[in-house]
Amino acid sequence: MTRTYRWALSLVLLAVVLVMLSPIAWLLLTSLKSPAEMASFPPTWWPKEPRFANYTDAISKVNFLGATQNSLTIAFITTTLTTLSSAWVGFGFARLSAPGKKQLFVVLLATMMLPGIVTLVPTYLIFAKLHMVNTYWPWVAWGLGGSAFLIFLFRQFFAGIPRELEEAAIIDGCGYVGIFWRIFLPQSWPVIAASVILSFTGAWGDFVGPAMFLSQDSTTLAVAMASGYVNDKGLPMNNLVAAGAVMYVLPVLVLFMFMQRRFVSGFSTSGIK
Amino acid sequence: MSSTLTEVRRPAAATVTAADRRRKPLRKARTFYLFVAPWLLGFIGLTVFPLGYAFWLSLTDSDGLSPRTHFVGFENYVEIFHDPLTLSSLAKTGLFALVTVPLSILAGLLLAVMLNQPIRGRGLLRALIYLPAVVPPVGAALTFRLIFDRDAGAANGILSGLGANPITWLVDPNVRYVLYALVLWGCGGAMIISLAGLQDIPRELLEAAQVDGASYWQSFTRIIVPLLSPVILFQVINGVIASLQSFAPLLLSSGSLSGAGTVPQGNYLYMIHVFAQYFSASRFGYASAMLWMLFAAILLVTLVIIKVSARTVFYTVEPEGKK
Repeated sequence: MTRTYRWALSLVLLAVVLVMLSPIAWLLLTSLKSPAEMASFPPTWWPKEPRFANYTDAISKVNFLGATQNSLTIAFITTTLTTLSSAWVGFGFARLSAPGKKQLFVVLLATMMLPGIVTLVPTYLIFAKLHMVNTYWPWVAWGLGGSAFLIFLFRQFFAGIPRELEEAAIIDGCGYVGIFWRIFLPQSWPVIAASVILSFTGAWGDFVGPAMFLSQDSTTLAVAMASGYVNDKGLPMNNLVAAGAVMYVLPVLVLFMFMQRRFVSGFSTSGIK
Repeated sequence: MSSTLTEVRRPAAATVTAADRRRKPLRKARTFYLFVAPWLLGFIGLTVFPLGYAFWLSLTDSDGLSPRTHFVGFENYVEIFHDPLTLSSLAKTGLFALVTVPLSILAGLLLAVMLNQPIRGRGLLRALIYLPAVVPPVGAALTFRLIFDRDAGAANGILSGLGANPITWLVDPNVRYVLYALVLWGCGGAMIISLAGLQDIPRELLEAAQVDGASYWQSFTRIIVPLLSPVILFQVINGVIASLQSFAPLLLSSGSLSGAGTVPQGNYLYMIHVFAQYFSASRFGYASAMLWMLFAAILLVTLVIIKVSARTVFYTVEPEGKK
């Protein structure tokens, strides 16, 4: 490859990066504009006088701290339970055999394609009948059930661990629960990391689940952001929307920039299946 | 003395191992089911049962509130094919998929090919191009609402800079372009998937082609695209399934489930209509029938893929020493 060609390629890609990042830049700029600036046309590119009060207003206008707490609680429940349960089930699929295992594995793979949204409304109706709406119990149940995709990831990882390790443990009198907990789980930290990141960001980003299962005053940040910042006339207060969205999105982006390899490995494996 | 001891012991030991051998698969099977139980129970309780419940609802005129619901048979399913709103929402979803799925895949593939070249800083470039795909859906939709705002949005800022009239983006008929742009912003996801596929292509193949005097375009069309075809097929199917379930238009307008009925016509996709039937019209029976049609369609597609990809599957890395 010639040098000029390489340069041209870099320039094109740099332009793509600028285009891809420009919406986030606009979000940041808007989050610092005054209400007067928001109302004038044409829009200003750079905030005339950065208004940092947008951020404090965004926190007080909706129940920001309460919603953050709810988001974190749900994300924590989802992350720990989903990761543990998926590892547990993945171990079963990788290391044990029984009649019906093959069929179950096909069902598992099929559920990866199954839209969660199709079952969500009927699940809501069932939980409503059980009086478990507006509690965290649905997330406990979903967490314990594991995620088909993560089960698959763990299964792939555990399947690659040499058999001798497990045989040695069996000779030493270790049961399968012990083998899972003491030998396999501690080795699977790359998958655990991917699982934690994917389930955390998934729970943090989820809109329909909390919108359906939680009431407006005990809801998560995602739901509060989507419809919270309106004035008395019902019109969106866009500078506050921007400030709130920055605070909502930034943790995920920071997490991504630090752990991008884990994100990417999770996603690229999802493409291979 | 010692010989009698061993004689006594040996058969006993042999019977234990024989019994053990017979019992072992059974115990192992029990352990297997102990391990898969959480998923299996979750699958039954949180997928199969709700689906069954939705199916039962779909045969009634339930409104979710009044205790008296009537069994109506397949009336709701018949209505789906006669309801102009449902049919038009399906057509809009088709158009939405037809525009966004190929464009996302194509953009992702082009970016993947470029980012697979040995250039400086390519890890960072990949990460930054992928970044929008990790922005939570609500955050992304709000951002696009701000960009396409009538007065304070960057889109109209650019237009006015060019001397053109501002456009009211977030209503019909323009709002669907905002939706397309929003989806395309996340094409980094497609890029990562194609990139993983590209990296699986053996380098020797491309080198051999180069030695034989193939141009880059020839290697691309004759080697890369055919070898990537399963990955592309996977993305097409996933993209269509995702389009059928997309509720992004909801986030672009009111941002609440009860506002599903007020989503602009141009963005009134299938899932939006389902939400509107549930949460605005309280037609639980009809909405459940709509969900079941979607479920049946996706199930059919999934079964077809499993059948078709049975030979080209990538997911089975059997543990060593197993058949």
